[in-house]
Amino acid sequence: MHKSIKISALAVVTAGSLIAGSAMAEIKIGVAGPHTGPYAAFGMQLWKGASQAAKDINAAGGINGEMIVLVKGDDRCEPKEAVSVANRMADQDGVAAVVGHFCSSSSIPASVVYDEAGVFMITPASTNPTVTDRGLPGVFRACGRDDQQGIVAGEYIVNTLKAKSVAIIHDKDTYGQGLADATKNTLNGLGVTEVLYEGLTRGEKDFNALVTKIKSTKAEVVYFGGLHSEAGPLVRQMREQGLTALFISGDGIVSQDFVTAAGGASFVEGVLMTFGADPTSYPAGAEAVASFKASGYEPEGYTMYSYTAMQVVAAAMNGAKSNDGMKAAAWLHANGNIATAMGSKSFDSKGDLTVSDYVMYEWKDGNYAEK
Amino acid sequence: MNIKHSFLDAFVAAILATIVFGPIMGIVLDGYSFNLDVPRVAIIVGIIFVGRFVFQLTISTQGGRDFFQQFEKGRAGSIEVTDPGIKTVLAKAIPFIMLAAAILPFFIGKYWITILILAYIYILLGLGLNIVVGLAGLLDLGFVAFYAIGAYGLALGSEYLGIGFWIALPMSAILAASFGAILGFPVLRMHGDYLAIVTLGFGEIIRLVLNNWSAFTHGPNGASAPPATLFNLEFKRTAAEGYTPFHEFFNIDYNSTHRYIFIYLLVLIAVAFALRLKHRLVKMPIGRAWEALRENEIACRSLGMNHVTIKLSAFMMGAAIAGVAGVFFAAKDGFVNPASFSFIESALILAIVVLGGLGSTVGVVIAALLVILIPEVMREFSEYRYLVFGLLMVIMMIIRPRGLITIKRDRKFSTKGEGAVVETKQGEGAA
Amino acid sequence: MDSLAIILQQLVNGLTLGSVYGLIAIGYTMVYGIIGMINFAHGDLYMVSAYLTAIFLALLSFFGIDSLPVVLFLTLLGTMAITGVYGWVIERVAYRPLRNSTRLAPLISAIGISFVLQEYVRINQGSNDQGIPALLFGAVRVPVGNDFFQITYSQILIIVVSLLGMGLLTYVIQKTELGRQCRATQMDRKMSGILGIHTDRIISTVFVIGAAMGAVAGVLVTLNYGSFNFSSGFIIGIKAFTAAVLGGIGSLPGAMLGGIVLGMAESLFSGLVNTDYKDVFAFGLLVTVMIFKPSGLLGKPAVEKV
Repeated sequence: MHKSIKISALAVVTAGSLIAGSAMAEIKIGVAGPHTGPYAAFGMQLWKGASQAAKDINAAGGINGEMIVLVKGDDRCEPKEAVSVANRMADQDGVAAVVGHFCSSSSIPASVVYDEAGVFMITPASTNPTVTDRGLPGVFRACGRDDQQGIVAGEYIVNTLKAKSVAIIHDKDTYGQGLADATKNTLNGLGVTEVLYEGLTRGEKDFNALVTKIKSTKAEVVYFGGLHSEAGPLVRQMREQGLTALFISGDGIVSQDFVTAAGGASFVEGVLMTFGADPTSYPAGAEAVASFKASGYEPEGYTMYSYTAMQVVAAAMNGAKSNDGMKAAAWLHANGNIATAMGSKSFDSKGDLTVSDYVMYEWKDGNYAEK
Repeated sequence: MNIKHSFLDAFVAAILATIVFGPIMGIVLDGYSFNLDVPRVAIIVGIIFVGRFVFQLTISTQGGRDFFQQFEKGRAGSIEVTDPGIKTVLAKAIPFIMLAAAILPFFIGKYWITILILAYIYILLGLGLNIVVGLAGLLDLGFVAFYAIGAYGLALGSEYLGIGFWIALPMSAILAASFGAILGFPVLRMHGDYLAIVTLGFGEIIRLVLNNWSAFTHGPNGASAPPATLFNLEFKRTAAEGYTPFHEFFNIDYNSTHRYIFIYLLVLIAVAFALRLKHRLVKMPIGRAWEALRENEIACRSLGMNHVTIKLSAFMMGAAIAGVAGVFFAAKDGFVNPASFSFIESALILAIVVLGGLGSTVGVVIAALLVILIPEVMREFSEYRYLVFGLLMVIMMIIRPRGLITIKRDRKFSTKGEGAVVETKQGEGAA
Repeated sequence: MDSLAIILQQLVNGLTLGSVYGLIAIGYTMVYGIIGMINFAHGDLYMVSAYLTAIFLALLSFFGIDSLPVVLFLTLLGTMAITGVYGWVIERVAYRPLRNSTRLAPLISAIGISFVLQEYVRINQGSNDQGIPALLFGAVRVPVGNDFFQITYSQILIIVVSLLGMGLLTYVIQKTELGRQCRATQMDRKMSGILGIHTDRIISTVFVIGAAMGAVAGVLVTLNYGSFNFSSGFIIGIKAFTAAVLGGIGSLPGAMLGGIVLGMAESLFSGLVNTDYKDVFAFGLLVTVMIFKPSGLLGKPAVEKV
């Protein structure tokens, strides 16, 4: 065990090589997410965003004069691993705060561990309402909630598209089904009853039977709650079967991988999705975006959210003048208007953002743009 | 030493390595085009060439052959028979090991306590499956279903029936055992691998129902489970209505580690109990009957043994232990989700039983500790940990196909010919 | 949509899916038939072949070969060859040393290999979804009443190539010297050895054939569905294994029949009843068939020797 601690210290130093040669006091902050496993693409977005933010904050003097050292925690998006990682970060690595996790099903059990240990947690990506609804004081969310996202999608379908028949498909997972349910509730509230509400199996590629079924319902709009791995083949098979219904989804498809998964830009043409107002478009974040691009990395998806989450951690700790997670959390609940790379942010009593900024995006020529 | 032969052999290995590793390692897909990465192919092919060359050279000498031959011995299919009444060193050491395990959590951090709790839960699962696969010879690939039933028994039981940890413990065991009976009854007339696939199907059905039946189980959102209590004392900073927190009752400072130490000790007691149970069972008629049935079903039936009740009892016993393990798992995390009960878990539990040595109790304990601790220790190598884990599984099987510990059997009477070895079909019947 | 058209469309969907299951099931059933081992890593070999397909397509387009039939043929051939080598190497390294040990040892070794293959591909190729551009466009549309059902060209390709592959394999196993040796080894390995059959070589051959058939499925599925990632072999592997058992494990026609039955069942249940419980139905069907016909649809009932 002694040896393993040494190695871990070494790994931390390597990971934190961005702060090379600093002899100052250090504050450890965890970045937890799926760094391996099927969702590693999102884990990388979290890591890139957090690393860049840590680098920039350190350059500006760190947190209460201490330099940030990042600790990587891999949960593979499995609840069991998430709990292990959370315990490890809280207990062994002794982190003061955690940016993560990615999957809602990981964030929920992990947040209990952080709460017990008094660690400040802010998730840049878990949108399931339960994450903050349990009222844990140290849990924050730097992104929107599924119910907010569902309202935007539902209202858009009814008010803008004037659609009468909507098929709702989800991937039977915490995120996907939660999003689909939120949209369904909004639709029902506006007097539209869905013509189909069913779940597909994650990891499969053949959805032809489901597509034929959607076709038989004559749906004008297909709403999908899930991630790009399934959304891609689904939209492709819809188009191949001659089904031209509008395809709408949420922030789970915000990645160039969606185009790859669909087999070409022609299949995703016209697909709509809800996502926070372009995270790279804020004037305050222009510098950060530029430094990402300079290093040859396109800050897509959750990268900027992760960057912002790290800034919030720093702001809360600097504001509370303490590296204690609970004190920082109390300060953040009491004070608002944190300046971040994504504009000014305030948090409500549950730890959610006070303003939700979901807007509709459209895929065109293999890229997405605000509609 | 035959250098030319070794060289040729290594050359063939290098060509194969180029074919196998070349495309996947050397041509990295990037959108619809690709990037070349020749150096890493060259490195791995070089390693394989040199490795194979050295290996061939070594085994062409007498000393080298002897060195590799000693691994061959482990492959011989045999059960060692020991004289009755002999207490092994291990048997004498058990009280001390238990004592050490009991005081261990007071010296290590919370992180390691939670890892050990998980490892102990897998020991329980391994012991349960060991009864089904190791003793009764019924290959069960859906064992995780009973684990899930136990875990959801606590979570949903507390939600709908308001029961707590202590009532859920026996209730989940009974529930899991009943499911074992329901599954076991129709499928037990099947043999070997057919049984395996049907149990696999059963395991998947349970998981899918837990995932799909949102109205009852909350589907993928998972359900929260109540923590364990000590005589109604809760291990929380502030207890729920009508409960007193543990730290207030004893007038000590709140420490979240207490809760884990408490669960740790409970699981340890459960493991000790399960070990004792297994130890007694194999000496009882029912345990003997399981093993007899595994070795030769037809002979047993000709002797008038009721194969259905015997198999069913093994199935139910294993399921009940898994149910208990499930309750501990739910109480530890405070949250259950269908994602924790996928087929991979069944495969891991089976791996524990086989790596440990079919039927061997000590083996299961060691293997469970290894299977849980290795990936955790290897967190340092984060990227490669499951690759190394998979490799270790393969290497373990090649070096010790009968598992870490091959089972020893007490002879009924002392006979001549010390250390005689009996041929056995063990494992044959299990597959 | 016309309800007849819907049912016909679902049958086409089921047939396509079933052919893929059948092709992969061959790998499971042949290996099981000859050494009585469940090769859990087979689904991951299929996944490797999907990557190889994309790599070959990328290479061929890089070298400027763009005649579609040539590209498809070369890709199929190359992928089958390399996946075959994978099958051979895995058998040689991970299974052959366990030939004479317990029957569970190779199973665990196979689970280990499955982990290794997935992680090996992930580390080298990344965890992102990969894909190939759509190559085959268009479909045959058959009018039914005032509606139509359709079968795309790539679906036709899947069904035709699967049937051809099956036919060819059946011919090899039933009519050739190699096939006779395979069948002999399957019946009695010891006796075949005594009669001069190189049984180790035959077993290797079976692994190569199984892997190559999995590769055919990999190429076809990749062409049809376009995308894959390092974990995509898992679910389809379990389904194909289910198909193999459903049809009677060890039986070659059984694998194909089991695949098509499973594909049809999934498609029809998903289309007419409920997609959520599609897999529950598939596994329920398996359990039911097993209870009434314990050795599968076309499997020979196990003879109990007394």
